[in-house]
Amino acid sequence: MTDYGHDLLFGSFITPSAAGAQQALRLSELADAEGLDLVTFQDHPYQPSFLDTWTLMTWIAARTSRVRIVPNVINLPLRPPAVLARAAASLDQLSGGRFELGLGSGAFWDAIESMGGRRLTAGQAVTALSEGIDVIRALWDTETRGGARVRGDYYSVEGAKRGPAPAHPVGIWIGAYKPKMLALTGAKGDGWLPSLDYLPEGVDTLPALNARIDAGAQEAGRPASAVRRLLNIMRAEFSATGTGFLAGPPSMWAEQLAEVTLNHGISGFILGGDDATKTQRFAAEVAPAAREIVAAARA
Amino acid sequence: MAELGIVVDLAATSSGAELSELAQAAERAGLDLVVVAGARDEAGGDEPADELVGVDPWTVATWVAAATTRIAIGVPSSTVQGPDPSDPRIPIAAVVDKARESLALLAGDRLVHDGWVVAPAGADADQVRSLAERGSLVVVVPVGSAAEVERVAALLPERPRSTRRAAVRARRRPGIAYEEIPPSLVESAIEPGDPGYRAVRSTYIRGGSPGLVLRPRSAAEVADALAFARRHRHLPLGIRSAGHGFSGRSTNDGGLVIDVGALSTIEVLDEDARLVRVGPGATWKQVAAALEPHGWALGSGDYGGVGVGGLATAGGIGLLGRAHGLTIDHLRAVSIVLADGTQIRASSHEHPDLFWAVRGAGANFGVVTEFEFEVDEVAEVGWAQLTFVTTDLEAALLTYGEAQRQAPRDTTVFLVTGAPQQGQSVIQLYGMVDSSDPDTIIARLNPFVAIGQLAQQQVVLTSYRAVMGTAADVGLDGHHGSGEPVGRSGFLPAMTPAFAREAAAALRGGRLRWFQLRAMGGAIADVPPEETAFSYRSPELQVTALGAFHAEIDEAWEPMEAHMDGLYLSFDTSPDPDRVERAFPPAVLTRLRELKRRYDPDGLFRDNFPLLEGARA
Ligand SMILES: Cc1cc2nc3c(=O)[nH]c(=O)nc-3n(C[C@H](O)[C@H](O)[C@H](O)COP(=O)(O)OP(=O)(O)OC[C@H]3O[C@@H](n4cnc5c(N)ncnc54)[C@H](O)[C@@H]3O)c2cc1C
Repeated sequence: MTDYGHDLLFGSFITPSAAGAQQALRLSELADAEGLDLVTFQDHPYQPSFLDTWTLMTWIAARTSRVRIVPNVINLPLRPPAVLARAAASLDQLSGGRFELGLGSGAFWDAIESMGGRRLTAGQAVTALSEGIDVIRALWDTETRGGARVRGDYYSVEGAKRGPAPAHPVGIWIGAYKPKMLALTGAKGDGWLPSLDYLPEGVDTLPALNARIDAGAQEAGRPASAVRRLLNIMRAEFSATGTGFLAGPPSMWAEQLAEVTLNHGISGFILGGDDATKTQRFAAEVAPAAREIVAAARA
Repeated sequence: MAELGIVVDLAATSSGAELSELAQAAERAGLDLVVVAGARDEAGGDEPADELVGVDPWTVATWVAAATTRIAIGVPSSTVQGPDPSDPRIPIAAVVDKARESLALLAGDRLVHDGWVVAPAGADADQVRSLAERGSLVVVVPVGSAAEVERVAALLPERPRSTRRAAVRARRRPGIAYEEIPPSLVESAIEPGDPGYRAVRSTYIRGGSPGLVLRPRSAAEVADALAFARRHRHLPLGIRSAGHGFSGRSTNDGGLVIDVGALSTIEVLDEDARLVRVGPGATWKQVAAALEPHGWALGSGDYGGVGVGGLATAGGIGLLGRAHGLTIDHLRAVSIVLADGTQIRASSHEHPDLFWAVRGAGANFGVVTEFEFEVDEVAEVGWAQLTFVTTDLEAALLTYGEAQRQAPRDTTVFLVTGAPQQGQSVIQLYGMVDSSDPDTIIARLNPFVAIGQLAQQQVVLTSYRAVMGTAADVGLDGHHGSGEPVGRSGFLPAMTPAFAREAAAALRGGRLRWFQLRAMGGAIADVPPEETAFSYRSPELQVTALGAFHAEIDEAWEPMEAHMDGLYLSFDTSPDPDRVERAFPPAVLTRLRELKRRYDPDGLFRDNFPLLEGARA
């Protein structure tokens, strides 16, 4: 049993499709109105049928009032970290502290290269992500005097002007699966943002991966609870009679998710599918019930 | 006279709510531009000379765009890409471009990157006027509050209002009286610099850059649009419904387009008589979806994205053709706006000559604003998609021709193939059997299976609606065709060994990129030729080929054409003005030309096989 004790967050994973731009906006407005905590957007700049994720997120931030906006996850190789830091701080300021930074090291290297990004091996990409985080944090840090300095193999800044600072301490949530990336998440991340579909044995994979993050945190002298654990869930259906994981009625979803929180410390559940009805039920029927169960168990 | 705008001081305005308020105040006050300028690094340091520091101007510009609807947004153009993509301070050029495109899609094309001068904060009317008199296009004044926005808006009371911004006007095309667009159409009209131009400039197949797109929402507005078009007879004029024109040049370069896509209602007029009224802007996918709940269908073409306006004025050779006839055979009446703006109704007893002409040559006579159809009862149908490979293309064509000739009229099968690769042809058959009985469907398809080696097959019992429904919906960003299609069409009285030989030779020669046979006959041939201007009623097949260049396709097409008689205009894009003589038999052409001289003597309608010599735009 692992529970890191964070408040529960519920969110929506919305496809940034160009053809469905209005739908993305409608789903976000729905999430905002229904009280979901997060709306999140994948970032694949080389995907021609997608809108630019940054532009869409900013657009949606301007059209909503309380939901938090999170890239899920931003493509660091195509979003150079100093540019990203300033854009993220700007969006956080404009939105009144409603931005968190989901961050990824990149995966589709042919596509990344074809867009003008740099091809890295998996190992190099971990180092680059680590240096990228250093650059981002250095630029956000307007308390320290003098220019920002980071010397890395992949990203360096030498006395860059700091700022702007975000309106609130923006969390860096990392999409990680492999050991080195998990260790980095423990050492430098504020959150972990994997997708359930990529976990070889589903939720049963969580303990092993959590342990790696915990070890990474410990090595860096941080408590394991410094890293919030979230989970993207792409396949889930409501049904009156289903019995499988996220296949039954809302009350059963709530029990199952609460269990994942209490047993594996996951405190953020992000639902995909671009489905308004599902999103609405998730917000109105699942989230409050799951919160209640978790609160009761923690008390 | 210059335009006027504001510069938002980003250092002072960091909350999004404040920023939205300023931009909205500027928009309300009728100002033309909001400039969001990031601070440049004055301390020097080692920042690239052009690097913007502080708040990210792109994010701010997007925010402002989301908070407003009309006002232009000025952002200094972003830094050029550095030589090294590892520089964490320089955005990646392709990502910047994509962001710009995305914003244009979301907010309309409202970004400008230069063209303004900044007046000192607190500048008075004289200062602003003197900057304007020095030739500045747009003068912007720094502001920090909504009250200041009001003050700025009052500085140049005589500046032009309600016309489009300078940046938009700069992209206007010559020869168009933009300032005289009829009031009913001003709001909805789109010109090259407008938000939304990208979504209307091109069609499904053809790239274009018209100088003005008028978008009437009623027959009266169509008449207004035509009045405007009559004063621009020197420019090309395209009539557009759903933008799937091929022969119909529903976009152009620098001319006008009248887009009746907004007229897209579908309503049942008489349940017992199965009478429906449909607007030209509806697509056949939408029509099929509306009819299916009644147990009805109306044969259209083979692709649900195609529009009612273009197809139902030309013919409509489709998958229910042999069972139920052409689309125009179901037409009972039209409402049409003539070249002089007269709105009339044509049917078998009201302007019957015009009703005859509309059914086959409608694009020459006016803009149809309503179609009344009598539709058919159609239950579930068999829908087949079969893929064959063969090394004997000629034999395959003959077998197909024979199978289709022998088939009962409930069966309509089309054939598509391309140039053979290493002697091997891939042939697709797709077709519909108007029967809900699986055994009948299989029996009907069996004879076709002999055309080659069956590589893939899908046969399902489904609805006409489902078949039309596979067409992709067109999003907000419209069509993005490019270039100019090269197509030739002809009617084939019957498949013969001589034709099959020529067609196979042409395909092997590699000059035809795409080749299609559509089955006719059946109910299509029941209608006497003199009944409609579409008068080639007896051919068994309609042939279409696509190529890359007109000269090239003509060379391949001519030997085949010797075996054909007439053409279906919708698939022919030949630039030859005499081509119209193949589209209609001589007597029909003579009658159509007489009517054309009566209904459209100046040849205003000329984007689709113009009937009057020299009228091709
Ligand atoms: C993918 C595809 C599949 C097709 N399949 C078939 C098929 O199976 N059978 C078939 O018969 N045809 C077929 N066609 C041809 C199609 O019917 C024509 O291209 C038709 O003109 C498209 O209609 P639209 O309204 O979408 O086109 P638009 O581009 O909007 O219009 C094309 C032309 O039609 C005329 N027109 C349009 N609206 C009106 C109006 N309201 N009043 C008078 N004239 C008007 C104008 O001349 C205009 O230039 C196909 C075309 C495509 C692109």
